Amino acid sequence: MEEIRTEDMAVIDYAVREHRSLWLDAWRRLISSNTARLGIFIVGVFVLSAVLAHFFWKYDAKIDLDYSLKLKPPNLVATEEITSIHPFGTDKLGRDIFRRTVHGGWNSLRVGIVAVGISLLVGGLLGLLAGFYEGVPFSNIERIVFMGLIGLALGSLSAWIASQIVQALLFAGLGVVSVLWDDFLADRKKVRMALFAGAGLLLGAGPAFFVGSLVAVVCGLLGIIIGVVLSFPLGGRLFSNIVMRLMDIILSFPGYLLAIAIVAFLGPGLEKGMIAIGVVGIPVYARLTRSAVLSVSQKEYILAAQSVGEAHGRIIFRHIFPNILSPIIVQSTMGLANAILSAAALGFLGLGAIPPEAEWGAMLGDSYRYLTSGAWWAVLFPGLAIMLSVLGFNLLGDGLRDALDPKMRI
Amino acid sequence: MGRYIIRRLISVLPTLIGVTFVIFMFQRLIPGDPAVAMLGEHATEENVARIREQFGLNRPLFLDREALLQGDLSGFFDSQYIRYLDRLIRLDLGDSIHRRIPVAETLALRFPATFELALLSMLFAILIGIPVGIASASRRNSVLDGVTMIGSLIGVSMPIFWLGLMEIMLFAVFMNWLPAGGRLSSGIEVETITNFILLDSLITGNTPAFIDAFKHIIMPAVALATIPMAIIARMTRSSMLDVLQEDYIRTAKAKGLIERVVLFKHALKNAFLPVITIIGIQAGSLLAGAVLTETIFSWPGIGKWVYDSILGRDYPIVQGATLLIAIIFMVVNLLVDLSYALLDPRIHYD
Repeated sequence: MEEIRTEDMAVIDYAVREHRSLWLDAWRRLISSNTARLGIFIVGVFVLSAVLAHFFWKYDAKIDLDYSLKLKPPNLVATEEITSIHPFGTDKLGRDIFRRTVHGGWNSLRVGIVAVGISLLVGGLLGLLAGFYEGVPFSNIERIVFMGLIGLALGSLSAWIASQIVQALLFAGLGVVSVLWDDFLADRKKVRMALFAGAGLLLGAGPAFFVGSLVAVVCGLLGIIIGVVLSFPLGGRLFSNIVMRLMDIILSFPGYLLAIAIVAFLGPGLEKGMIAIGVVGIPVYARLTRSAVLSVSQKEYILAAQSVGEAHGRIIFRHIFPNILSPIIVQSTMGLANAILSAAALGFLGLGAIPPEAEWGAMLGDSYRYLTSGAWWAVLFPGLAIMLSVLGFNLLGDGLRDALDPKMRI
Repeated sequence: MGRYIIRRLISVLPTLIGVTFVIFMFQRLIPGDPAVAMLGEHATEENVARIREQFGLNRPLFLDREALLQGDLSGFFDSQYIRYLDRLIRLDLGDSIHRRIPVAETLALRFPATFELALLSMLFAILIGIPVGIASASRRNSVLDGVTMIGSLIGVSMPIFWLGLMEIMLFAVFMNWLPAGGRLSSGIEVETITNFILLDSLITGNTPAFIDAFKHIIMPAVALATIPMAIIARMTRSSMLDVLQEDYIRTAKAKGLIERVVLFKHALKNAFLPVITIIGIQAGSLLAGAVLTETIFSWPGIGKWVYDSILGRDYPIVQGATLLIAIIFMVVNLLVDLSYALLDPRIHYD
């Protein structure tokens, strides 16, 4: 029989292990995975080279031109013919592809980060609110604000038709009244509906009558509809529904098609590309955040926070937000990969960076026509940069998903 | 069930209207006057006026309250958006700016080429992606699994236009095995029946044309299939892994059923639903990806046309093609949702 040593005991004894925070734990798991380490390495190389090149190795695309070096294959040793060294060769204007690839990284990363930032900020916030209020009823003040806003939004249509701002305010008031008189005729829904429809008719047609009789008819009809809508006790579920249906519209355009179309109409430019890719990405984050919120919003600690009367904003940002952070982090990392890919696609179609600015996709779009005449290097290296950087972020995202999964905690 | 289908069909309507709204608003994004943008900087006054009249650009965007003031109710609704919807219902997508031909006609003409390419790509993606996913799930942590996971991650990270270019470089420029672009070599004629060249050449028994068409389609199809294939393989794997942990799988194994039966009869059936969703989403992405793939391979489909139109600032074409692709995508998603109701008896919708 083997002797049991004290070191063995220490390994088995999980119960008395040191306290480690979730994030430290996740970090340890992350760096213990080979693929995640590879991801970190690739991402690190690209981020560092792009940032350092931007600050320490200035490059002015506007004056970079040398026809005598047009489309030269890669060389690692200077010869008499080509006195400079071009590890990735040169492109159709004799520009060094290595240099442009390194500098192009700055643009690609920038697009990725800004685009993901836009999607995350807008989508995440919408998802948070939609998810939270789907499960938790509005407080009284929130209901007043919500119904007032609905009245204002619907009423502004009528107000616009009759060119009378007062109508929008009146309908906003009707919405507030609907909340304040919550239980008024609550058990006789039809009477309540009719009453509100009548009020709507008055609010719509009354002021509009001074503008024109036909205007009054149209606004009156509109007012009846608005009144009926406002007679219902609308709540968070409606808000969530509206947000998600809006997201569905954006999601009806597959892949980066919408981004391509938007920039095709706006005209090319890196900034426009960022915005377009960011907008297109909003629904992904909205849906993800909403479902994550739904999964935690019935947990005991949230119910407890509600029952002690904590403000909704505080519950959302203090209790819910930290607990849904990990899926968002994972999605943002992978979203960064996608945004870089979309940006490259835009650049390739001539919709990204404006020439002669260096950007990976645009470099490919510039050079691919020379492929059939054998200039493979002008296409290989920028594309390789796109693929590797995207792969890096995907590997990192995959690793993060495993690392942030609490079930994996040992 | 019937009620669910009807409800789902109705729920498409608001989204559809939203989509037409978004596409309609595209032309507001054009910097400056859309009429001038359509005609170019040097257009004459009267031409600009004519275009404004023809496209109704002098009408208000949504509703005309001036007309209402004058007691003209039909004039109230006579706006750019309503006119746009009215044209859409009559399948009129406007005319190409440069060539003055109806967009809808050319879309119909070029669609079969895109559809043929997308269909073949999807076939590749499904026929390779699903078996690979199943195999790697059933041999978890094996070498095969590792290769699949890394391969699929590389596939997901692949810029397809670059992959297409690399294919051309290898197989067309260096090896000279396959043609670099186009749909058919010049000199080879195929009688058009369905406009799917592969199918047409088969029907007419035109073997050389079939081989030639196949040689042309193989590279773009592989490029287009890469991302869906990788995603389908990953999805199949993870879905299968979930199902394989269930108790009934253990029971089936304990009963002594052979692995093949457990895998295909018990596990695959239940693992299939998420895979179908992903296939539906990828089918839409294929159409979006076609813009890039067709450009590289000079494939005479919708995607290449969109690319040319973007360069030429031919806005109605971009609008029309975007609308067509979005509608196809919506229909595919609808079918996926409905197939859920048919495939999964556990789901009750009423």
